[in-house]
Amino acid sequence: MTVFEVINNILKIAGDAFAGLITSILGAGGLADFVVMLVAALIICALCAVAFMGLTYAERKIVARIQDRIGPNQAGPYGVLQPIADGIKMFTKEDTTPAEADRWVYNLAPLVIAVFALLTYAVIPFAPGVVGTNLNIGVFYVIAVGSGSTVAILMAGWGSNNKYSLLGAFRTVAQLVGYEVPMLLNVLPVVMLSGSMSLVDIIERQTLGNGGNGIPFILVVPLSALIFLISGIAETGRSPFDLLEAESEIVAGFHVEYSGMKFALFFLGEYVNALAVSIMFTVLFMGGYAGPILPPYVWLLLKVAAVFTILMWLRGTLPRVRVDQLMSFNWKFLVPMSIVNVILIMIIGKVFVADPVTAQVNGGIAVPPLVQAMILFTSNVIVLLIGLLMVSRQARQLRLTEAEDLDRRAAHNKAAAAKVVAQ
Amino acid sequence: MRTDFAFVAVMMLAAVLLMGVALLGAALLRPKKPSKAKLETYECGMETVGDAWVQFRVQYYIFALIFVLFDVGGVFLFPFAVAYNSLPLYAIVMVCLFVLTLLGSLLYAWRKGVLQWD
Amino acid sequence: MTLQQILFIVISLVVLGSAFLVVTTRNLFHAALFLVVSFFGVAGFYVLLDAGFFAAAQVLVYIGAISILFIFAVMLTRDVITAQRGNSQWQAAAFVGAFLFLLMAILLGPFSITIRGHQFGNANWPFDMAGDAIKAAPSNFVGTMGSGLVSMDQYGVPFLLAGVLLLVAMVGAIWVARELRGREAEKAAAETAIDDADMDMNQPVQETLPLVDTNEAHESHDAAAVEKH
Repeated sequence: MTVFEVINNILKIAGDAFAGLITSILGAGGLADFVVMLVAALIICALCAVAFMGLTYAERKIVARIQDRIGPNQAGPYGVLQPIADGIKMFTKEDTTPAEADRWVYNLAPLVIAVFALLTYAVIPFAPGVVGTNLNIGVFYVIAVGSGSTVAILMAGWGSNNKYSLLGAFRTVAQLVGYEVPMLLNVLPVVMLSGSMSLVDIIERQTLGNGGNGIPFILVVPLSALIFLISGIAETGRSPFDLLEAESEIVAGFHVEYSGMKFALFFLGEYVNALAVSIMFTVLFMGGYAGPILPPYVWLLLKVAAVFTILMWLRGTLPRVRVDQLMSFNWKFLVPMSIVNVILIMIIGKVFVADPVTAQVNGGIAVPPLVQAMILFTSNVIVLLIGLLMVSRQARQLRLTEAEDLDRRAAHNKAAAAKVVAQ
Repeated sequence: MRTDFAFVAVMMLAAVLLMGVALLGAALLRPKKPSKAKLETYECGMETVGDAWVQFRVQYYIFALIFVLFDVGGVFLFPFAVAYNSLPLYAIVMVCLFVLTLLGSLLYAWRKGVLQWD
Repeated sequence: MTLQQILFIVISLVVLGSAFLVVTTRNLFHAALFLVVSFFGVAGFYVLLDAGFFAAAQVLVYIGAISILFIFAVMLTRDVITAQRGNSQWQAAAFVGAFLFLLMAILLGPFSITIRGHQFGNANWPFDMAGDAIKAAPSNFVGTMGSGLVSMDQYGVPFLLAGVLLLVAMVGAIWVARELRGREAEKAAAETAIDDADMDMNQPVQETLPLVDTNEAHESHDAAAVEKH
């Protein structure tokens, strides 16, 4: 094999060599498979932990620069050793458990959140042939695992035996649960266009090659991509949806009573979730590891870095939304628009069919895939513009009525003050 | 497919192992000096008033209920999305009806004023 | 014993054990959490039956949505920890439970009874207990399920009925919500009425006067005391 091929497939070659080694030691069979899978899973988890450290550092630096300050620069040159310092801090902080906390529930909650956050990585393809397991329900599995961690948040809130913790947990769960719906609805167009829920098949559909037409889905269904990104950001509780950890409001939300390593596990869960959302976005909408010249894992890294930079950019720039703005934005804007989008894509995808054979069998107009992609793109943009138009009209109405409301309330207050003075 | 899920189980095991090791390491490394003040519940630095039971509003329950409905609707739509490419044109009508029913229920809830936070 | 049988026994123990703990725990919140463990076990069963889609659907709907609904409902009632969960009709419940168990054992198990010439039971399970009893699912079973859901001669009508059922559930939820919100609004209005009544009865100007009087009394008293000495 040429050097180029070796570099391209180095992950797969290393994996196969390791599997061969273990099989030759332990004999082919269940035990060897189990050992290989265990080592692969441990490597993925360890890589996630390392990525978490790098991401916290990158985030602090980038958000600091956006906010016109420098960020950590004391620990090591340019603050590079800051994550290690943070890690040492997490390990050596005392664990102040409140007295009446429910021991089992309180201690299990961070573990459950961290485990669920890491479970999404079992299904993500890092390179062609390098995937934990190519489940044929890949996307559905990721969404299911993402929604399974909401119970752990309620455990954390209740187990701390603290009113603010409980309130924060309720609000967090209401937010997470609300933004699951647009995520579910906007993965549907991707599954429809690729005909399979398996992540590897979705990537294959976006690459030039067997069955694919080389158009990343972000250019075909940009509205779905946008809404998926927004709900993904809300799912992980990052800014501008970070009501959960708003320090000026509910101090630290549901993890106010946690310290030391347990708090570190919550923190890890949040960043690992954010990374998982970025990776899912690249896999579903940007073609994952597909790309022309560079090796696939380099492409994946570049794309995920770009998406995560967008996440950090949003964090540094946008102000926090209020809780009622959060919920009304979701249920009154995102969900109806997602439903209308799904209906339109369904209809257009069947009327303008990309494959001439299916057009003959199932009815519909056969067009080249590029034309179908362009039609879907324009329909998405039209739905977005109509939605924005309706929202802006409603916002204008709200502004006008708000002005009247303020005037009326000012007059009422003046009258009440005059009455008190006269008494 | 059963063997596919074996990796998921192994991954769960690996994650629990790794996090368990981290928690164990932290338990060994950290100081243990409990004091009465540290064991108190946190209430912005003041004494707590009342027990930790909060009268939470019915809005939380309503939003969770609406989420259950849309969740189940989504679960129905996923197999359809997988079979989408091989379906004839008229099969879309049924799914359109289903999705319009979901949209109708959301609009009904909106008009009845149930979707407000306060 | 194949690996499959061992896994089945382990998962059954988990499901049955946590279901038992759900009904016997004192603490309602713990009961809800044990229910979540039971749901996980059922998801494990789906995986053993080679139905991965349903395992993920179980986690998504039951653990991700319905458990949260349960826990919110549990929080709406006051006594999560302190309620004494005794049941005064436990004898009748035990009798009904035993009767139903016997009925199911006869109908589903290898026993059979003959009543007036009719034989009940002796169900013939169509596989043998040893060996790999679970067939693998066809490779595209989610796709076939999807096309079955929308075709009129398979499951199209139940699919539409499910949509209507969701609409009915939404209407019911709205009705319950308005009733509960009405009750909450009444309670909130009653509380603000009490606050208003308090404020009318408060006469702040009069309350401060006695304080001023006592101060002056103290001062004059001290002055008199100083003068005396």
